[in-house]
Amino acid sequence: MSSQTQVEEVLDLSKFFDHLWVTIVWDDPVNLMNYVAYVFIKLFGFSKEKAHELMMQVHNEGKAVVASGTREEMERAVQRLHEHGLWATLQREDHGRV
Amino acid sequence: MGEFKGAADTGDLSVSLSNDELHILINLVEQLLELLGERNFAHHYQSDDPFAQLMAASLGDLESPISQPEDPVLRRLLPNAYSDIESADEFRKYTEPALRKLKQDHLFYLREQLVFPVDHELQRADIPVTDPTQWLIAINDLRLALSIRLNIDQSSFEKYELMPDTEPQKPLFAVYFWLGGIQESLISHI
Repeated sequence: MSSQTQVEEVLDLSKFFDHLWVTIVWDDPVNLMNYVAYVFIKLFGFSKEKAHELMMQVHNEGKAVVASGTREEMERAVQRLHEHGLWATLQREDHGRV
Repeated sequence: MGEFKGAADTGDLSVSLSNDELHILINLVEQLLELLGERNFAHHYQSDDPFAQLMAASLGDLESPISQPEDPVLRRLLPNAYSDIESADEFRKYTEPALRKLKQDHLFYLREQLVFPVDHELQRADIPVTDPTQWLIAINDLRLALSIRLNIDQSSFEKYELMPDTEPQKPLFAVYFWLGGIQESLISHI
């Protein structure tokens, strides 16, 4: 292994640790689709299209990652989502899988 | 039946509610406020009053994690933030009082807006919607609370439509779907 590769690996790791946590919104049979999209736009500043896409992902797949960042950022996001009545949790990012 | 007029942008958004609808909404808001108030230490955390702080300090369980509420409605309104119980309880210790306070504030706001017409002859009130977001959140929490009591799932609307009028829960289902209509209508005006 060359020293160049090692440096790149260190850089990659630091990036990975910066974005270690994700916020997941789970599907429920109560929250209206329009309302969920409205909350996504309000809390995360998404475009209408992006909010709609994520809302559909929650609806069709049962859940969607709506934000990633530090643990503190994700805890704040989850608290805001709970304030708005959405069912959300945070967890460590698992290489893109939930 | 809860029709909105005007728009949030122009500041003239209002909703027309019959006296019966006002009665129902007030009743629901007050019931949920009572439920949320059951375990609320938020005022102890935030108060400048030395006595309140002393009381807060004497509440032993502030040192240990708070576990999930027992009432299923509160479990839905104040859900776990983590799938593992230990992290969820630890997070809840610091955040649940504030979350309860936020939800109570939204409901208190809505309660204050629900005023019967001054003229007793009138059967409806036109209520200005000064803060549409608080309306939305409060109505949504009422729907969430009812959905738990009624075991709402994806097929509930079909079941409701086929329900005989003798079914004791039918009026509550009607209120649940009516609130959904109000919320839908409100979103379309924002």
